[in-house]
Amino acid sequence: MNRRNFLGLGLGLGAVAAAAVVPSSLSAIDFRATKPKAWDATSTEAAIKEIYGTSATTASGVKLKAPDIAENGAVIPITVSSKIDAKTVSIYQDANPESAVAVFTVPNGGIIDYSVRIKMQKTGNVTAVVEGKDGKLYSAAKLVKVTKGGCGG
Amino acid sequence: MAKKTRIKAKSKKGIVTVKAMAKHAMLSGVEAKKAKKEMNFITHLKAETNGNVVFEVSMSQFLSKDPYMKFKYKGEKGEKLTISWVDLKGDTRTDTVKVK
Repeated sequence: MNRRNFLGLGLGLGAVAAAAVVPSSLSAIDFRATKPKAWDATSTEAAIKEIYGTSATTASGVKLKAPDIAENGAVIPITVSSKIDAKTVSIYQDANPESAVAVFTVPNGGIIDYSVRIKMQKTGNVTAVVEGKDGKLYSAAKLVKVTKGGCGG
Repeated sequence: MAKKTRIKAKSKKGIVTVKAMAKHAMLSGVEAKKAKKEMNFITHLKAETNGNVVFEVSMSQFLSKDPYMKFKYKGEKGEKLTISWVDLKGDTRTDTVKVK
């Protein structure tokens, strides 16, 4: 199976799954269903543009914690925190074939302090974007050196 | 078969810190090919308490195997926290814990 088929299959199933989930939750937004193109974007900039409509960000107000050197690319701890009154928070990287990693929806009055573990194939930049309620995008980026790839590479 | 999500939720001064680990292989395209399996990963995960969504994330295949996440929300002891996820194949798993 080639990669193109994989993606098409993935998106189709993703949409079906999301449709089945929607009735049980009122405020939940599944970005895989609403912004399917963003998950195929091959650069950080393109992915941000797909999700927010613009890729112009201000580099302030966002704290991104990531290791300088990751020995194991399969498990890279990433922490994003911010005091901005935000709608969404998203994480990208430019080491893997596609760029978008995760989009968090911040509930009203939510505290932005999210930690996740991601995998990266090779050395690349990790970017975190916070969408403020004022409609502006704030970002932070960090270069993570990967000595052993995490996507089976 | 989806396995249990491990959840730890602790309240301190009205802020609940949650550490959760979902059991999932999170196979990306390349990994799936190597393992001769189909690509599959959790696409959407959310946490609810009292019917309010307190945390939700749409994700791609680039989260680590058995995705671990930590987050905080405003809540009290004794409340119930429900974490549920759905993966690419439509499998779901829902687990509920009491906030300590």
